[in-house]
Amino acid sequence: MITATALHKRYGDRVAVDRLSFEVRPGVVTGFLGPNGAGKSTTMRLMLGLDHGGGETLFDGRRFTAIRHPAREIGAVLEAKAFHPTRSARNHLLMLAAGSGIAASRTDEVLEFVGLADVAHKKPRSFSLGMAQRLGLAQALLGDPATLILDEPANGLDPHGIHWLRDTLKSLADEGRTILVSSHLLSEMSLMADEVVVIGRGSMIYNGIVDGFVREFTHATVLVRSPEADRLSHALRRAVHDVDIHVLDDGALRVSGMPMGDIGEVAYRNNIMVRELTARTASLEDAFITATAASEEYVAGGVE
Amino acid sequence: MSDALRFEWVRIRTLRSTYWLIASALLLNLVGAVAVALTTPPLNHEIVGAALTGGGADLPVPFAAVFLATMGILATGHEYRYGTIQPTLTTVPRRSALFAAKLTVLAATALAVAVVSLLADIVAVLAVWGEVPALTGPPFDEALPGYLVLVVLWTVLGAALAQLFRSVPAALTVLLVVPLIVEQLIFSLSYVPALNWLAPVVKFLPFAAGQRLIHVGGTDYSEFFDRWVSGGVLTVFVAIVLAVAWTLFTRRDA
Repeated sequence: MITATALHKRYGDRVAVDRLSFEVRPGVVTGFLGPNGAGKSTTMRLMLGLDHGGGETLFDGRRFTAIRHPAREIGAVLEAKAFHPTRSARNHLLMLAAGSGIAASRTDEVLEFVGLADVAHKKPRSFSLGMAQRLGLAQALLGDPATLILDEPANGLDPHGIHWLRDTLKSLADEGRTILVSSHLLSEMSLMADEVVVIGRGSMIYNGIVDGFVREFTHATVLVRSPEADRLSHALRRAVHDVDIHVLDDGALRVSGMPMGDIGEVAYRNNIMVRELTARTASLEDAFITATAASEEYVAGGVE
Repeated sequence: MSDALRFEWVRIRTLRSTYWLIASALLLNLVGAVAVALTTPPLNHEIVGAALTGGGADLPVPFAAVFLATMGILATGHEYRYGTIQPTLTTVPRRSALFAAKLTVLAATALAVAVVSLLADIVAVLAVWGEVPALTGPPFDEALPGYLVLVVLWTVLGAALAQLFRSVPAALTVLLVVPLIVEQLIFSLSYVPALNWLAPVVKFLPFAAGQRLIHVGGTDYSEFFDRWVSGGVLTVFVAIVLAVAWTLFTRRDA
């Protein structure tokens, strides 16, 4: 269990992280989301004692810097290519193992696990971003830790790699480990994460289950096709005052603020034929865009 | 601390640069020793000192020590150049223990290399000259240990400078520009009558003072403290840089 309390970081006048408090539970994958510049990496650095700031993060009740062999309890990777370009992948892990009292044989196990056994003795200067990410994951798993903190681990991975990462993290979570993963790949995160911590401009927006986040920041809609769309619209408005109805280009209705079953019932009672009733659930991406729209740090100009 | 020492030991011996820097230091000194021995007989202490300590006290920098100082610079500077400070600190989060381990491993390595270098140089000049003056008597009984201290101080200074600047080029620049240009300029200007007030300052120039650790005689062109007080001047300079670097390392964001 990770418990972050009142994390705070300021660069001059700018508040990068604003008294963030959240919990990351074991047994699930927790996504850490936020727009560029929201403070995700800074928060992770604060949690690991890499940056100095306010607040406290406890890993099963202890601060990171108070743990004698943190790599055996918390596997953390914040940068994909944080290795010396001429030190072989195996030697990189051997160095970290030596500092954590981990057996040298473990380096071969994790390199095999992440699929880098064939390049274990190669210098990583020529590693692709995907290979670097795999080495990073090997580094995080070196001490067989109960907690993983990974910053954008899917960056640079090909589709097979992303699929493998997702399965790996989910199976590690199923083993009861605590996993916090930041990512910009929201479609991937929606498949991977069970819970999310969402921040914007350093402040907490949401901490909880993914479905709750989507429900809180979006409205489910129902697509309705009927040869009597006008009459149905009036009937729906009579039934529910604040129902929101949009007429689409092809004449179909997009209804929000009314469950699908109620729409069918109104149509039945008014003797209106309905050819299609499809519930459209909003995505994590929809919720993310809605939730963080006001806190985007860097906004591009529109296309002329 | 033992974990940090193991980490640093593996770190330093899994880098190719460690080996070529050590090899360069040994080879440069050996070539220098052989060159001096081949061109000059062991007429006086200065010639023997120059052969054994890579040029002697009159050079502005001890060249072999520059290579070992570069090893020190890479030990801390590369942590920032390649972002390895993150995996380093997530493995060994106690920063003071980590920095102490870095300095200990570097100093021990530099000391071992300096001892090997001295022994190799003695064997080389012995082979050429057929004899070596007594090294257990004055001034070599102090100058040779002084050489070991000088090499260790340079190595530690390299690591401290790169930690202070978090930059390999900046540390290298300071380490070379100050003794080769700044101190030499002050040294030369102290002979200008209008600037002779600089003369008393010369003995406090840290790198020039450090060279007195391997002084074995000859003409003194400026007033210096004796060997060990001069070594103290360099030691104080290294200690000040080290203290600032250490303090900032524990307080700065990684």
